[in-house]
Amino acid sequence: MKETSNLQRPMLNTEPTAYPTLGVGRSSDIGRFLWRILGLVVAAIFIFAGLTKILDLDHLIADLQQLQFANALADLRNVSLANPGEFARDIDNFKILPWPVSVALAFYVPWLEIFCALGLVFRFLYRGALSILSASIVVFTLAIIAAKVRGLDITCGCFGHASQHWSFPSHLATNLTILVALLALLFKATSEIRRQIPFNSR
Amino acid sequence: MKSSILRQAVILALFALLPAAGEAIYFRDKISWRSAISPSEMVTVEQAREWGDTAIWIDARPDDEFANDHVPGAILLNEDRWNELLPQFLAVWSPSKKVVVYCSSLSCNASREVAQRLRKEAQLSDVFVLEGGWEAWLKKKR
Repeated sequence: MKETSNLQRPMLNTEPTAYPTLGVGRSSDIGRFLWRILGLVVAAIFIFAGLTKILDLDHLIADLQQLQFANALADLRNVSLANPGEFARDIDNFKILPWPVSVALAFYVPWLEIFCALGLVFRFLYRGALSILSASIVVFTLAIIAAKVRGLDITCGCFGHASQHWSFPSHLATNLTILVALLALLFKATSEIRRQIPFNSR
Repeated sequence: MKSSILRQAVILALFALLPAAGEAIYFRDKISWRSAISPSEMVTVEQAREWGDTAIWIDARPDDEFANDHVPGAILLNEDRWNELLPQFLAVWSPSKKVVVYCSSLSCNASREVAQRLRKEAQLSDVFVLEGGWEAWLKKKR
């Protein structure tokens, strides 16, 4: 029986947990640590973005913003599911999609954000998660720009009511920062895979 | 490698479908797939008619459509001339009255926008959107 060596098997769903040991040393450890932190920060942003749409966290966020931690703890015990209708209306306000599609996206997008973010945390389906998040950020950004050009007064709903009063430049700056981080992570992950898999197995 | 990324993305997209479908089932009675207005904020022509004199009818369509024809007794209040028309409406409004807003059809947004502004800006509570709008009114009139 002909055996295929492990090296020649393309890695489909899992990502390398250890980086190649080229230039092993303190600086590569720090670099690896910083990339990991960046991935976790991006994941945290998308977990937060997803949770603010699925759960009613308005009171909790307001109390945290005012540093009222005792009240925030009480809010935490009373957290309930958010009405997806609000996010659907936020999507509908862009006047791009028909209402039923806005409703479907209101149910789907928060979970997609959370699942992709968990992919980043556990490095499972890692590059798939990064590409979905990058694509979604590009779409959100284009939608925000289109709304601005058409003179629509929109609430993006990106972070639930926490982002309700964000200005257009704030939206744009936030989205572009996240996009740069996502693309950097995707580029890094892809280059690591290229180094590990022989050319004919890519 | 590209197919690997695509495969991963498809798997994640499918994973996310499951809880989304569960949530959609859980909220099936609380959100309408047909209209952006929640069922509690809508009223049918029959219900609105039953309210009789306790209802104020608001026509949210453009001026020319209102001038062409409108629900008897309806007041014109559209977003084009909001600041000009709002005082006329508030002059006839009282807290005991229910407000019924309509625009041309089921798919129009004007009634929803006007109802939303009345709730937010004028702080009115009993504001309803007529299901099916002017078209539904015409059908029931026949």
